[in-house]
Amino acid sequence: MTTKLVKTALRNISRNKRRSILSGVAIGVAAMSIVMLFSLIAGMQVDMESNLKSYYTGGIRIRNENYEQYERFNPVHLTVDANTIEKILNTIEEVDVYVPRTSFPANLYIEGTNFGAMGVGADFEKEADFIDLEGSLKKGRLPETGKNEMIMGAVLARDLKLNIGDKVTIMSTTAARGTNAITLKIVGLFAFPVASLNAKYFWAPIDRISYFLRMNDATQEVILKVKEDGTESEIAVKIKEILKQETGVNYDVQAYTEISGTYEMIEMANTVYIIMAFVFFLLGSTVIINTTMMVIFERMREIGTLGALGMHGKELVRLFFLEGMFISIIGTFIGVLAGIGFTLLLGKTGIDLTESMQGIDFEVSGMIYPKLSIGKTVFVFFYSVIIASLATLFPSKKAAKIEPVEALRYV
Amino acid sequence: MKNKIITILILLSLFIPVAAFTLTGEEIIRRADNIQIFETSEASGEFQIKDRFGVKVSTFNSWSRGTNESLIEFTSRAERGQKVLRTEDELYLFYPDAEELIRMQGSMLRQSMLGSDISYEDMTGGKDRISQYDVILEGEESFKGNDCYVLIMTAKVRTVPYPKEKLWIDKETFLVWKAEYYTKSDRLLKEMETLDTKIINGRTIAVETRIVDKMKTDTETIMFMSDIKINIPIDDAMFSLEELSW
Repeated sequence: MTTKLVKTALRNISRNKRRSILSGVAIGVAAMSIVMLFSLIAGMQVDMESNLKSYYTGGIRIRNENYEQYERFNPVHLTVDANTIEKILNTIEEVDVYVPRTSFPANLYIEGTNFGAMGVGADFEKEADFIDLEGSLKKGRLPETGKNEMIMGAVLARDLKLNIGDKVTIMSTTAARGTNAITLKIVGLFAFPVASLNAKYFWAPIDRISYFLRMNDATQEVILKVKEDGTESEIAVKIKEILKQETGVNYDVQAYTEISGTYEMIEMANTVYIIMAFVFFLLGSTVIINTTMMVIFERMREIGTLGALGMHGKELVRLFFLEGMFISIIGTFIGVLAGIGFTLLLGKTGIDLTESMQGIDFEVSGMIYPKLSIGKTVFVFFYSVIIASLATLFPSKKAAKIEPVEALRYV
Repeated sequence: MKNKIITILILLSLFIPVAAFTLTGEEIIRRADNIQIFETSEASGEFQIKDRFGVKVSTFNSWSRGTNESLIEFTSRAERGQKVLRTEDELYLFYPDAEELIRMQGSMLRQSMLGSDISYEDMTGGKDRISQYDVILEGEESFKGNDCYVLIMTAKVRTVPYPKEKLWIDKETFLVWKAEYYTKSDRLLKEMETLDTKIINGRTIAVETRIVDKMKTDTETIMFMSDIKINIPIDDAMFSLEELSW
C-alpha cells in the first residue's frame, strides 16, 4: 500500500512539473538563503573576534593593575615595563606572538582647529608578526623607529584633507599629567578592515610616542596571541601567575573574552546575529510552509476526485505528505548545494560592505567572508525537509475531511 | 528760618563725608585691578596640582607687561621648554617638539593648563572688567579676619570666561581674598582663594593661591609665586611670536 502511495506521489510530482518545480524552487531558495545567512553571520562572528584580537585587545592583554579602574580618566602614567614582560613571555610555550602598544586620545591641530583622533604607538617590526600592517597600507610606507612619522587611516586623512608628506601637530595628555605636542609627518595611509579604525586612528613609532607622552620607555600594554584559539582564558591565568612570580608585580592579565566592554560587545553582536538569523529563519520557514500549503489548497478538486474514487482520508494525508517530502528533499538538496557553492565562492571573494560600514563604530570589517558551518548546513537541510513535510499535514487533513462532492466545487 | 537753614546744613555736613568716601562697586573693582597691574613684572612660580592620582609639581618663570601681555615658560622636567604667550588678543602655546605654534581659540581655551584647575581661558580674563560686567556692591563681610567688600559681577557680554563672579575684596588693600565663578544659572564652576600675601612696592600681592575647579572631583591647584620683581626693564621682543620659539 505504501509503495503504491510512493509511486502515486512521484507520479503526481512528475505529472504537474511546473507546479512541482515552482514549489521546489521556492523551498530551495529559502533553504539556500538560510544556509548563506548562517554562513554570513558565522563569517561576521569570526571576523569580529579576529579584529578584536588583532587591532584592539589581542587574545590576551597585559596592563597595569590599576589601569582599567581609571581608564575613563586616560591614566597614561599607569604603564607596564614591556621589555621585562616580553622576556618572560618568550619562555611561555603557549604564547605565539606579542607586541607592545600604547593607545591614547589626541587632538590633531590643523590650521587653528583641533580634531579628535586616537593614536597608537606601535613597534612596527614586531607588528609584522602580529597583523598585516604592510598589506594594509594603501599608500606610502610604514614609519621608521626613532623618527617623527606616522601612518594615518585613509578615511581620517581624506576627512582632514591630508596626504602623504603633510605634517600634523598632535596634542595629548602626558604620563606626567600635563600636556604635550609633537609634529609628525604622514608617511603612509592605511586601510584596515575595520571602518572605524580608518576614520579615527593614526599609528606612530612607539619610541616616539613613549617620549612624547613622557612614559620613560614604558608602554600602556602588551598584547599577545596564543597558539591555540580558545585557550586564552586559561593561559591568561598562567601568565598572570608567572609574571607575579618573576617580577613581584601584580599585572592585569585578561583574555579578550573577559575584558570589560569587549565581552559585552561580542555578546551583544551574537545576540543581534541570533535575532537576525531567527527572523530570516522565520521568513524562510514561512515561505516553505506557505508554498506547500498553497500547493495542496489549490488541489481541492483533485482531492475530491481522489476521494470520489475511493481513497481514504489517511491515505490522502500520507499521499500529500509524501509529495511534500519528495519535493522538499529535492528542492532543499539543490538549494543547500547552491548555498554551499555561493558561500564557498563568497568565502574567497568576500562581500564588500565598506561603503555601508562607513561611520559605524563596530568592530566588523568592511569586507566580510562568509564561513560555512557543516553542522548548521545539515541542520538547514533536515529542518527544511521536515517543515515542508509537516506543512502538508494541516491542509491535507482538512482536505481529507471534506466530502468529495464538496471538494469538487473548488475551482 | 535761620535755625532751619542751620539745621539742614548740619544734617548735610553729616552726610558729606560718607558720600565722599563710599566707593561704588566699579571703583572697588578698578582699584583691585590696579594693584595687580604693573608696568612690567618678572616672577618664578610653582603649580601644585592635586588630583585623584596624587600631587604633581610644575615650575615656571613668568614675565608680564601691562594688563594684556604675559609669557610663562615651564621649567619642570616633564614640561621643560613649553611656553604660554598671551598677547593683546591671542593666546599661543609653544611646545619644543612641535614645529608650529598652537593658537588657542574657541573651545580650546576651556582646556585645562597642564591638568591643573586653571584653564587657558582663565588667563585671558582681566581686560577692562568694568566694561564687561555689571558690578553690584552686595555688602561687607569679614573673610578670615579681613574686612572685605562683597561684590557680584554679572557679565554684560558673552565673551567673558564666567557669566557671574562673586568677589571678596579687602577694604584696605583691595586684594581679592576669595572669588567664586558661576554659570548664568548660578552653578558654581570654580573657586579661588588667596592663602598668602606679600607687600611689594607698597602693594599687597597674592603669592599663594588655591584654585578649585568644581566641575572636577578631588582636584585642587595651589599656585606659589616667588622672586617677584616689579617694573624691571623687559625686552619688547619677549612678547612677540617671533621670539616665542627661542
